[in-house]
Amino acid sequence: MAKTYDYLFKLLLIGDSGVGKTSILFRFSEDAFNISFISTIGIDFKIRTIDLDGKKVKLQIWDTAGQERFRTITTAYYRGSMGIMLVYDVTNEKSFENIKNWIRNIEENASADVEKMILGNKCDLDAKRQVSKERGEQLAIEYQIKFVETSAKDSLNVEYAFYTLARDIKAKMEKKQEASNPPGNRSGVHQLKDSDRQRKPTSWLSRCSLL
Amino acid sequence: MTNATIQEIEGIDDYWGPAFRSVYEGEGGHEAFVQQLDERIQQHDKEIEKLCNFYYQGFIDSIRELLQVRSHAEELHAEISNVDANVKESTESLCTRAEELIRARRVELNIAATIEKMELCLPLLTTYSKLKTQVEAKRYYPALKTLEQLEHVLLPRVGPYKWCAQISSDIPRLRQAIQDASMADLRDFLENIRKLSPQVGAMAFKETQEMLGRSLANIVKSKKDDVISVASRENSGPQCPHELVDFSPLHRCLHIHSVLGAKNDFVQYYRAQRKQQARLVLIPSSGNLHDSIQSMKSYLNAVLGFFILEEHLLTAGAGLVSRDWLLDTWSMAVTKVASTLRTNTSLITDPTLMLSIKQQIVLFINALKCYGLPTDPLPLLLQEMAEHYTEVLMQRWVVVFRDILDNASFLPIEVENQEQYDGVMDQFPYDGDELETQPFPRKFPFSTIVPAVYVQVKEFIYAWLKYSAGLGLGGGRRAAAARHSASLLLSRSFTGCLSALFRRPLPLMQLVQIIVDTQYLEDATLYLYEFISNITGSELVTTQAAGSMFQAARDDAEQQICENLEKKVDEFLDLENYDWLLVEPSGQASSFVTDMLSYLSGVLTSLEQLPTRARVAAVRAATNRIASRLRNLLLDPAVRQISSGALHQLDLDVIQCEQFAAGEPVPGLKEGELLEHFASLRQLLDLITGWDWSSYLHDVGIEGGKYALVTPRDAATLLEKLKEAEQKSSVFSVLKKNERDRRKLLDTVLKQLKQLQNQDG
Repeated sequence: MAKTYDYLFKLLLIGDSGVGKTSILFRFSEDAFNISFISTIGIDFKIRTIDLDGKKVKLQIWDTAGQERFRTITTAYYRGSMGIMLVYDVTNEKSFENIKNWIRNIEENASADVEKMILGNKCDLDAKRQVSKERGEQLAIEYQIKFVETSAKDSLNVEYAFYTLARDIKAKMEKKQEASNPPGNRSGVHQLKDSDRQRKPTSWLSRCSLL
Repeated sequence: MTNATIQEIEGIDDYWGPAFRSVYEGEGGHEAFVQQLDERIQQHDKEIEKLCNFYYQGFIDSIRELLQVRSHAEELHAEISNVDANVKESTESLCTRAEELIRARRVELNIAATIEKMELCLPLLTTYSKLKTQVEAKRYYPALKTLEQLEHVLLPRVGPYKWCAQISSDIPRLRQAIQDASMADLRDFLENIRKLSPQVGAMAFKETQEMLGRSLANIVKSKKDDVISVASRENSGPQCPHELVDFSPLHRCLHIHSVLGAKNDFVQYYRAQRKQQARLVLIPSSGNLHDSIQSMKSYLNAVLGFFILEEHLLTAGAGLVSRDWLLDTWSMAVTKVASTLRTNTSLITDPTLMLSIKQQIVLFINALKCYGLPTDPLPLLLQEMAEHYTEVLMQRWVVVFRDILDNASFLPIEVENQEQYDGVMDQFPYDGDELETQPFPRKFPFSTIVPAVYVQVKEFIYAWLKYSAGLGLGGGRRAAAARHSASLLLSRSFTGCLSALFRRPLPLMQLVQIIVDTQYLEDATLYLYEFISNITGSELVTTQAAGSMFQAARDDAEQQICENLEKKVDEFLDLENYDWLLVEPSGQASSFVTDMLSYLSGVLTSLEQLPTRARVAAVRAATNRIASRLRNLLLDPAVRQISSGALHQLDLDVIQCEQFAAGEPVPGLKEGELLEHFASLRQLLDLITGWDWSSYLHDVGIEGGKYALVTPRDAATLLEKLKEAEQKSSVFSVLKKNERDRRKLLDTVLKQLKQLQNQDG
C-alpha cells in the first residue's frame, strides 16, 4: 500500500499566552485568521502535509496553551517533538523576555537535538511594537537559533517559518541516517521514532511488553 | 133715350162701352146726344155756380180763422221750442250724473266682488310666499307643511285661476326641489360626519382612556381640578363624542321624507349610503397601517367614530338605524377591521409599535363595550397579535443572543476583585457560598454568556409583559403565559442560536463550556419563574419543571464533541504507517497509537466539567472510531498482504487501545463497555493469531460463540492477505514439512470459509 507520506514531523508551538500561537497554526493549517482571542485550553494539534524536495512531509503541529496552569500538560509533549517554534509578541516586551525561560524549558524537557526557531509574531502592529527586529535577531544569534518575524494576520512569513523548520529537521535526519546506517527500505522516521521511544519508556508501554 | 144714356154714363164709373154703343147706334143720332150733353153741362155749371155762391162767405171766414190759427200755432211752436230747450238743458246734466252713478255702482259692485275673491286668494298667496321664503331659508320641513296646507286647503278654496294652476303645477316641482335640497343636505351631512367621525372616535378613545385610568385617586384629583376650573369648563366643548356632530340635518331630512311619505326610501337610502361609507372607512386610507401608530390610530378612530354615531342614532330613535341593521353592519365591519388589523400587524417587526397598536386595540375594545357593540373577533386578534409580538420579540432576542454568542469567549468567568464578583452575582442567581470563601481571582464555573443571557431573558420578560398589561388577564394567567414565552425563548430562540453556533466547528473546550453553561441556565429557570411571579404578582409556580430545555442544544454540543474527537482520531489514524510485511514486531505500540491514547486521556481529563452522559458519549464515539478504523485498516482491500509480524504489531496496538478502554478513562461507564467496541476486532485477531480454525468453523453460526462476531468473509479476507504475505516471503525457500502442513490447512480453511460465505449468500 502506498504510504500517504514520506516523513512525519512532530512540531510544537510554545510561548506566552496571547502571543498568537494558535493564530499562527490557524494561518498555516487553514490559511485563515480570526481576530477574536480564544485562549487554548490544554493542548491541540493540526496536521498539514507539505511537499519538501519531492517528499511528502506530514507536519503534526502541537499547539500548547501558553497559560501557566496548563504547563504540566504541555511539557509532556516536548519530548516527542522534533521541532519547536518559540513564539513571542513584538508588541509585548514580557513575552520576548520570557523566550529565555521557554528555551530553558526546552532544554529541560525536550530531546537535545530538537530543532528550534524563534518567531516574533504580530509584526503587522508596527505602531505598538516594543521589541525591535534587531533584538530578536540578537537573541536568536545568542542561542544559535533561526529567527523570523511573522504576522499571522497578514500571513507574513508563516509558511516560510514552518517550511524552514521542516527542511532543517529533514536535513538533520537524513544526515543522521546516512551516518548511522545506509538507507534501507524503511523510512528514517520510524527509526528515529523508535530510538526516541527507547529513551522514553512510559509506564503503560512497559505494561504492554508484559502482555 | 139720350137721357138714359147720360145717366148711365154718370152712374157708372167704368164700363162705358154699352153706353157708347147705344149713343153710336141710337136714332137721332149723336147730335141729339151732344145737345143733351151740352144741356147737361150747362145744368152742372149752374149748379156749381149756385154752390159756390152759397159757400163763399164761409170760405172767407174760414180763411180769416185759418190765418188766426196760423199765428197761434206759431206762438205755440215757439213756446214749445222754448220749453223743449229748457228741458233739454236740465236733463242733460241729469243724464250724465245718472250715467256716472250707474258706472260708479257698477265699479262698486266689481270692487266688492274682487275684494271677496282677493280675500280668498290672499292666504294662498301669503302661504305661497311663506313657502318660498321657507324654501329659501332651507327650512324644508315647515316648507313642506306649508306646501301641504297650500295644496289641500287653500288651493281648492280659491278656484280655477290661471295662477292657481301655475301654483298647483309648481307644487310637485317644489316638493321635488325640497326633497332634492334635503337630499343635498343629507349628503352634506354624510360628508360632514365622514370628516367628523374620526374626531368622534378620537374623543371616545380619550374618554375610554380616561375611564380606564380611573381610580379613586384620579377621580378625587379630577374633582379637585373641576372645582378649580369649573368656570372655564362651563361652556367647554361637547361632553359626549356624538355631540361633535350636528344631527339636525339628518333629522330634518328624515322628517321631510316622512312628510313626503318616502320615509322608508329615505331610511333605505341612508343605510345604503352609510354602508358604503362604512366600507370606505374600513379600507385604511393610508395604505400601510403598520408604518406608524398614527395611521393605525386614525383608522380605528374613523371606525369607532362611525359606529358611535350609528349607535347614537339607534338610541335617538326615529327608526333611522335599527339594532339589527347596526349589528349587521358592525359584524361586517368588525370582521373587516379584524382582518385588516391582522394583515397589517402581521407585517410589523417593531415591538414598540406593536405595543402601541395593542394599546389602541384594547382601548378600541373598551370603547366598543361602552357603546354596547360586540367585540367578538378582536380579543382573539389580540391573542394572535400576542403570539406575533412574542415572535417579533423572539426575533429581536435572536439577534441579541447571536451577538452574545458571537462575542463570547466561552471561558469561565474570572473575577479579580469583590466588585467584579458582586457584578456577576447581581446579574445571575448563583449559589456562591463555596466561591465566597475563595481568594481572588475567583472563578465561576460558567462563562459570560450565562449572566448575559439570563439578563436578556429578564429583559425579554419585561418586554413581553408589556403586551399582556391591560388585557385584563389575571396575574396567574399572565405569569403562565410569560413562563411559557420565556421558556419558548430559551428553548427555541436561544437553542436555535446555539445550533447555529454548532454549525461551525468549535474547539472542544468551548463546546464543553456551552454544555456547562446551558445547565446553569436551566437551573436558573426557577429564578426566572420567581421573577415572573414577583412582577406579575401571582403565586410562584414550581410544579412546571424546567425539564431539558437545552437538551437539543446539549445533544448538538455532545454530538460535536464526539465528531471533534472522531476527527482527531481520524487524524491520528491517517498518520498510521504500518509496514504490512514486517517480519518481527517491534514489541512496542506504534507511536501514533500511543500519541493518540495520551491525547485522548488528556482531553477526557479536561472534559471533567462535562456531565457524565456527555463524557461517556464522547469516549464511546472515540473508541468506536478507533476500533472501526483499525479493523478497516486490517480489511482494507488496498492492503494485499499482511505478514504475521505486522499482524502482531497491530495486535499490540489494539491491546494498547483495549487497555485504554478497560482503564475506565471516564467514570460512569459500564464495566467493560468500551471493550465491546473492540470485540469484533479482538475476535478476528485472536482467531488469526491463535490459529483456532477448528473451533471457529465448529461454532460458526452459533450465538455467543467465541468468534461469533467474525464473519467468514472477514476471516477469509484476512487469511488471504496472510497467505499472500507468506507466499511472498517463502517464494525462494523450500518449505519445511510443518510449513507445508500449515499451507495445506490454510487452504482447507479458506475453502471452508468460501463455502460458508456462499451459503450466506
